[in-house]
Amino acid sequence: MRYGGDNRGRLLIIVLIVTSLLLITLDLRGVAVIDGLRNGTQTALTPVQKVGSWAVSPLRNFLSDVTHLGRTRNQIEKLKADNEKLKTTLLNRKNADAQLTQLKKVLDLAGNGGYKVVNAKVISQGSSTSFSQTITIDAGTTSGVHTNMTVLSGYGLVGVVKFAYRNSALVQLASDPTFRIGARIAGTQQIGILSGQGTRKGVLQLLDNTTTVKVGDVLLARGSQNGRPFVPGAPIGEVTAVDNSPGAVTQTADVKFYANFSTLGVVAVVISNPSSDPRDSLVPPKPRPTPIPTVTVYATPGAASPSPTATK
Amino acid sequence: MSLRRFFISFPIFFIIYLIQEAFVTQMRLPLGGFSLILIFTLIWATLSTPEIGALTGFGAGLMMDLSQSSPGPMGHWTLIMILAGYTVAFLGYGDDNIRANPINIVFIATIGVVASQFVFLVLGLLLGQQVGSIKNVLFILAGSAFWTAIVSPLILKIVSFTHSNIFGTRSLL
Repeated sequence: MRYGGDNRGRLLIIVLIVTSLLLITLDLRGVAVIDGLRNGTQTALTPVQKVGSWAVSPLRNFLSDVTHLGRTRNQIEKLKADNEKLKTTLLNRKNADAQLTQLKKVLDLAGNGGYKVVNAKVISQGSSTSFSQTITIDAGTTSGVHTNMTVLSGYGLVGVVKFAYRNSALVQLASDPTFRIGARIAGTQQIGILSGQGTRKGVLQLLDNTTTVKVGDVLLARGSQNGRPFVPGAPIGEVTAVDNSPGAVTQTADVKFYANFSTLGVVAVVISNPSSDPRDSLVPPKPRPTPIPTVTVYATPGAASPSPTATK
Repeated sequence: MSLRRFFISFPIFFIIYLIQEAFVTQMRLPLGGFSLILIFTLIWATLSTPEIGALTGFGAGLMMDLSQSSPGPMGHWTLIMILAGYTVAFLGYGDDNIRANPINIVFIATIGVVASQFVFLVLGLLLGQQVGSIKNVLFILAGSAFWTAIVSPLILKIVSFTHSNIFGTRSLL
C-alpha cells in the first residue's frame, strides 16, 4: 500500500523545512547564537575526539600504511637520505666550528707575537707505525711555506716544517722523538734543550746546572737565526715535574706541551720573523681558580646543641 | 505516539553522532571515508513512516550541522536530511518488497547518501560556497557510494533491531 500522507504529516514536513530555512537564514545573517551552538558543541566534543584519536591511532596508522604502501616506502627512503645529509651537514658544521675556534686562537697568538703566518688545515696525521710524529698540512710552497718554518697552533708550538711540497707540507711535531728545540724559561730566562718523547710530554735539559727550575714554569722558544727553524717567543709548554737527582750532571724537567697534537685542525706556519722579539708576551695567562664557598662546623663533644644565632 | 518514539530514538542518534565525530572521522579512510550518521539515518528512515523519516532527518541534520567539519551554514544539512529522510521513507513505506529486502535497503541507502551529498553540493553552490574541482567532487561521491555499500550491510541488522524495538514493530530483516 502506497503512502498518501495526511494534513498533519504535510504540516510537519513544512514546519521542519521552514525551520531549517530559518536556521540557514539566521546563520547567513551572522546571528551569534548559531555560532555559539557550534562552538559549544565542538568544545564539548573535543575530549571525546581526543580519546577517539588516541584509540583509533593504531588502526589509522595501519590503514595509512596500507593505502600509502609505495609512497610510505619512498618517503622512508627519502627521509633516511635527508637524515644522512643532515647528519653530514651537522658534522661538517661542528668541524667548521672547531676549526674556527682553533683559527681564532692561532691568529690571536700570531698577532700578539707579531708573526706573519699562513693558515693551513691539517689534512692527514702521519702513521705512528714508523715511530715518527708528523702531520700533513694543505699549504705548500705556493702559499709561501718552506722547509724549516715554525708551525703554531692556538696554544703554542706545534712543530717545524720538514718538507714543503707545492700544495702541502709535512710537519714534524714537537712530540716526535727526534725533535729538539732551544727553549728558555719565561721570567728567569734560563735556557735548555727540549726534546720530544713521542707523547704530549717533553723533557727539558737545562744547560746551566747551577740554576733551578720550578713546576709551573713556562717554556718559550728561544728562537733561531732569521727565525728558522724556530721563531723566538713561541710558547711551548709548562714544567710539570723537576728531576733534582743529587748526582745528575744537568738538571732535567718534564714539560707538558701546550698544543694538543691529537686534536689539531687548523695550524699556522710562520713565514716571516717578527720585527722584534716578543719576549715573554706570549706566556699564556694562569688559569684562575673558581672560589668554592666552604663552611666549617666545629662540634664540641658534650656541649649543648648550638642554637642558630644571627651574625652580622 | 510517533513523536514520543522519535524522542526515545534521539539518544541512539546522539551516540552514533559521537562515534562519527570521535572515531570515524579520525580514521582518515581512503576515498574520503563515510558518514556513519548519514547512513544510519537513511536506513532508519527506510524502515520508518515518511513523517518519522523527515523528523529523523531533521534531528540527524541538526547534529551534522553542529559538527565543526560541516562547511555549510547551520540548517544546510538539516534541510537536506529532512528531504532525504522523507524521500527514502516515502519510497520504502508500505512496500515490503523494499523494506524486507536487505539488498534493496543497501541500494536505497547508497543512492540516498550520494544524492544527499550531491544536493548538499548544489545547495552549497547556490549559497556561495566553494566546492572544488569536478574531479574531486566525483571522487568523493564515488568513495562515499563505495563505503556506504560496504558499511550499510554491516549495520543493517543493528539498525533494524533497534528500530523494531523502539517502534514496537516486527523486524522484517
